Amino acid sequence: MRRALAACLAGVVGLTPARPAAAQPADAATVAADSARVPAGLGVPSIAVSEVDGVTVVGANDLARLLGAARSWRADVRKLVLVSGDHRLTFTEGNPFVIADDRTFRLAHAAFSRAGELQISVDLARVLPDDSGWPRLAFDAHAGELRAAPADGYVGSPSVDVRAGTTQLWIPTDHPEQARVIGRGRARFRIRMRGAFAGTLPDSLPDDGLLRDLDVKSSPGGLTFELAVDPAATGWQFERAPNGDAVSLLLVHGVNALDPFAPEPPPGARSLRTVVLDPGHGGADNGVESDGVLEKTLTLDLARVLADELKRRTGARVTLTRTDDRDLGQLGRAELVNRPDPDLVISLHFGMSTDPRARGGAAWCAPAAVPAAVFDAPGLPTDRSGNAGLFELLPWRGAATSHAVVSRALAEDVSAALERQGFGPMSVHERLPMALLGVTAPGVLLECGTLSNAAERARLLAPNGLRVLATAIADGLIAWQRGE
Amino acid sequence: MRRRGLIALGLVLIALALFARQCFDRRHQLEPLPVVPDSAETSVRSATVWFASPEGDSLVPEPRDLPEQADLHARLAALVAALEQGPRGDGARTLPEGTSLLHAYLDETGLLTLDLSLAFRQGFQGGARVEELVVGSLVRTVSANVPEAKRIRIVCGGAAFSSLGGHFPLDRPLDPDDWP
Repeated sequence: MRRALAACLAGVVGLTPARPAAAQPADAATVAADSARVPAGLGVPSIAVSEVDGVTVVGANDLARLLGAARSWRADVRKLVLVSGDHRLTFTEGNPFVIADDRTFRLAHAAFSRAGELQISVDLARVLPDDSGWPRLAFDAHAGELRAAPADGYVGSPSVDVRAGTTQLWIPTDHPEQARVIGRGRARFRIRMRGAFAGTLPDSLPDDGLLRDLDVKSSPGGLTFELAVDPAATGWQFERAPNGDAVSLLLVHGVNALDPFAPEPPPGARSLRTVVLDPGHGGADNGVESDGVLEKTLTLDLARVLADELKRRTGARVTLTRTDDRDLGQLGRAELVNRPDPDLVISLHFGMSTDPRARGGAAWCAPAAVPAAVFDAPGLPTDRSGNAGLFELLPWRGAATSHAVVSRALAEDVSAALERQGFGPMSVHERLPMALLGVTAPGVLLECGTLSNAAERARLLAPNGLRVLATAIADGLIAWQRGE
Repeated sequence: MRRRGLIALGLVLIALALFARQCFDRRHQLEPLPVVPDSAETSVRSATVWFASPEGDSLVPEPRDLPEQADLHARLAALVAALEQGPRGDGARTLPEGTSLLHAYLDETGLLTLDLSLAFRQGFQGGARVEELVVGSLVRTVSANVPEAKRIRIVCGGAAFSSLGGHFPLDRPLDPDDWP
């Protein structure tokens, strides 16, 4: 009787329980169905859920981040408004109702505050309709997360077909128009796609096909499929599937009509008759400076020592882009590099960091980018990489990209040699540096060490320091020459 | 007899409650709650800004709450300011001290021009690795939070320039896909 009276009073004065009611346990089938609304996968946006007094909730700040919404708290009426474009979601503390634009839905539990942050029941994923204008949500009890459908859709499981000497890779995607090839080296063929990966990779690839390896990685804004293509493949073609729900990569053998891979020389020893060394910076451009040591001076000193080392060990003709303290400018530098038609060019640099513990170096080489246009030109002579029949229209500044594969090998061989001599850690990056703009030979920009690191600086400035460094670089060049 | 008393007490309490609610409602009619518009000025949005890792060999994301701004310039200025202030957790600042956004312009093709203060060029110190991190943190932060920017051109003090430290070209628009 007293309980009935209390309930009656509460109803009359409009009181609502301050604490959320206990959650009803969801059955396994419901949970599975809910989580399947937004499949899990690489790159799918998600936030962790938590349990408070038996209620599964997410923090409003995390929810706003998941939905890509701005949030506004109205303290006077204890309301939180999430805004994304023209859509609004309104939650009220102590109230189970959520207002989505002009529609109202009831959650199983009232929103409540905890540590100054409104907590929203994951029931939101169930009540928010698909046509609300918000990303579709799904609560996955097993994973303990609330997921949102990725804005750029999904990428599905790749499949591989092999027939009549061709290999075709199919990748389902919601946005085939946003997929593109960003690297065309056989060893590192890369496809960039938008969306999240909700599929699985094949357990194995056909032995008689032209695809040797397939992997997928998450990258900001999407995914990158990384492929290793059989050296026997001679061309590729990337296009949208006719029905518009997938992209396909066709790999062929013995056909020259398709797009070419990045040129690569035949395996084995390479020519090393002419080498150009480019001491970085010069003139008014000092480069980095640490404890009175100027990069432009050190690179020139290193170039001289390295030139002697290379002449002595390889018999190669070695030229320097500068032999005194002057600024060559980008155009002048490229002209000096290209003039002797070198087998390789190394631009020598040193680094610096505000963190005195930073050490080691890095090498940059041109990426195996897709050229602006490719023309079939059977009359053209075979180039020294052994590629014939296709004429690639390359912008002048990106000429070095036609040597991307062999430049990558050079960067890796030199980096490995430096690490062996204790000049590491080293890393290799594919990005076209200024020093290689307009350069028509294989080359790398080599950052040989970190001048701000006291130990590295002392080692370089020791009586034999540059000689030891030059020996390590020469070791790398000779390994590259041997094709090791 | 006792039951009748309880019922009477209940009726009295109900009457009192109704009276109290009427008074409460009337008071609220007389003194309406101030209407506080949930204006853009009071909204915040979670953004992701990218700084150099503590080892200085990669970029690491850091979530930030920034004021919600409808104006493109204000949004980008807040992002540049967050980068210039540096990370709150582990990591290292990438933008030179004093760097700020002077102007921003987005054309119909999605080309975003960021005009940064001269401190961006004049305050830069470092080799190729640092230069790559500086440009990468800027491009990645802008593209992650301003998705309408399809390409990004960086100018300084209203003028184009060829390179920040002489290692990587900045004289052409940058494609965010090339700075993953």
